[in-house]
Amino acid sequence: MDIRIENLTKAYGDFKAVDNMNLHIADGELVGLLGPSGCGKSTTLFMLAGLSDPTSGSIYFGDKNVTKVAPEDREIGLVFQNYALYPHMTVEENIMFPLINRKVKKAEARERANEMAKLVQLDGLMKRKPKALSGGQQQRVAIARALVKKPEVLLLDEPLSNLDAKLRIETREEIRRIQQEVKITTIFVTHDQEEAMSISDRIAVMKSGIVQQYEVPQTMYLNPDNLFVAQFLGMPQVNTFSVEVKSGNIYCNGALLRSGCELKDGTYTAGIRPESFEIAQDGITVKATHVRMTGRDLLIHFSIGDTEFRILVHSDLSIKEGDEFTIRARKNQIMIFDADEKSLGKF
Amino acid sequence: MEKKSMKGYIYLMPALIVILLFTAYPLIRAFLMSFYEDYNMISGEYSRIGLGNYKDLFGDKDFTKALRNTSIYVVFVVPCSIALSLLIAVLLNSNIKCQGLFQTIFFLPYVTSVIAIGLVWSWIFNSNYGLLNIILSWFGIDKVQWLNKPKYALPSLIIFSVWKSMAFDILIFLAGLQTIPKDLYNASRVDSTPRWRVFWKITVPGIAPMISYAFIMGFISAFKVYNEVFSLWGGKAGPANSAITVVYYIYDKFYNSHNYGLASAAAVILFLIILVLTIVQRMMGRKK
Repeated sequence: MDIRIENLTKAYGDFKAVDNMNLHIADGELVGLLGPSGCGKSTTLFMLAGLSDPTSGSIYFGDKNVTKVAPEDREIGLVFQNYALYPHMTVEENIMFPLINRKVKKAEARERANEMAKLVQLDGLMKRKPKALSGGQQQRVAIARALVKKPEVLLLDEPLSNLDAKLRIETREEIRRIQQEVKITTIFVTHDQEEAMSISDRIAVMKSGIVQQYEVPQTMYLNPDNLFVAQFLGMPQVNTFSVEVKSGNIYCNGALLRSGCELKDGTYTAGIRPESFEIAQDGITVKATHVRMTGRDLLIHFSIGDTEFRILVHSDLSIKEGDEFTIRARKNQIMIFDADEKSLGKF
Repeated sequence: MEKKSMKGYIYLMPALIVILLFTAYPLIRAFLMSFYEDYNMISGEYSRIGLGNYKDLFGDKDFTKALRNTSIYVVFVVPCSIALSLLIAVLLNSNIKCQGLFQTIFFLPYVTSVIAIGLVWSWIFNSNYGLLNIILSWFGIDKVQWLNKPKYALPSLIIFSVWKSMAFDILIFLAGLQTIPKDLYNASRVDSTPRWRVFWKITVPGIAPMISYAFIMGFISAFKVYNEVFSLWGGKAGPANSAITVVYYIYDKFYNSHNYGLASAAAVILFLIILVLTIVQRMMGRKK
């Protein structure tokens, strides 16, 4: 089932947590709501769940306007950040609970709970209490409980934030696998850009209650609509600096970065991702002030004038602190933003 | 290590001395006194050591009545108070208006003197001008001689005490309710849980430790009921001793009849009852 969000606003007094949001989520897609804390992503999720009432605007599940529909009648599964498993029930009872509430016969409920447990690989743990499970296992119980009633929409609030680094990567693949298997329209909230990019079909980046960009991850990473999106995606962060454009040439502190661009003369904000530089014969000669080996890459710091850059190069290059080397920006990799931080394209 | 524990004992000393002097010593004395027959507390003389006091005690109709009354009192007051308190605590914990005001109103009995409350309630129960009878008259119920007829004495005492002990129960239930994560309630909404099942499957298990605490404390204090009787009937135990309780009986035998042995024996019996009940409750609590 597809979801349409139309002019959705949630205001607390003068403060707008979500500001005139419009989004269409296609049937069966996995969409990540991404943004820093306080950007309105969780508020949006809770409005989709029906646990929070919008100030204005509408939400459609398929053709049905569900804006005023109670959460229990929305056909949604919701996974909470802290899982919210019922602590006094076993794993099995937790998963069966939504079915028992819907007056499904006990034997059938148990069968369906067991099916779900198999899907999320929980079999063998059915008689345990949540307290006796690891974080990752609790997470899977929460997902099983959300999915057992066969909802039309699955909502996850920061599903991975309580897990350790290794488990986080495993679990996000797991969420993707389950989502693909069930083919359920899924929306999840996260503040982790890598997490969002790795499993989402589309990402909606939010800031101060406003959707900044809604795109497939790769397009968004390569062609961010504005400076905020450029900075929010990617680790290490995109290098941002001020550039001077004079008759088609882009200069950074006097050093020529690119020539032959169709840009009006003036000062702009530029962004280059750390991996978008290359070592070359001709270009700008710089001195490495700091070199760190990260395994696959070398992270090198250098300055052009008083602007500091961080770049990633392949770790088989032998550049040490204090070494001089020549770099240039790879083709079409300089993002230029106007005074309103809107993208003017890549050069 | 030795030195450290020595220091610890010195710190405990003041409290220990008070406890030994005013709790442990009287406890042992009362226990011993219950076996002294024809005991004279002034001279310290007694005729012999034996079970005579206990024999007299169980032969005394007043004591068996006190025991019966106290049991009925406990059986009604504790569960009723806990059930009503739970209901009110849940209502107070939901998003109602003037939450603070209601909390204060329900907690007032706890901080007010029992004597003052008793005075107010003896007016509420007044058969001619009392509020209770006026309210009952709206429903066409005739005047009830709440405090003046023996058969209504115990029910009056129970109504009064349920109201009074609710204050404490509501307080600890409210504290308990606030420890239940809000997300559990949100999850139960998404899971289409009927209200009564939310109550039994989330709320009650969530505050089970508080409920069991309220039961233990309630039982202990209910067995010791005395102030309520004293204040409701101005020092008497209701019409024709109809609302006599065990502690009232002990007090009466000790201070009014100067029958120290009998009073001590009754106190020991009460002590044993409370001890056994508490042990049973703790064992039940541990099984869970």
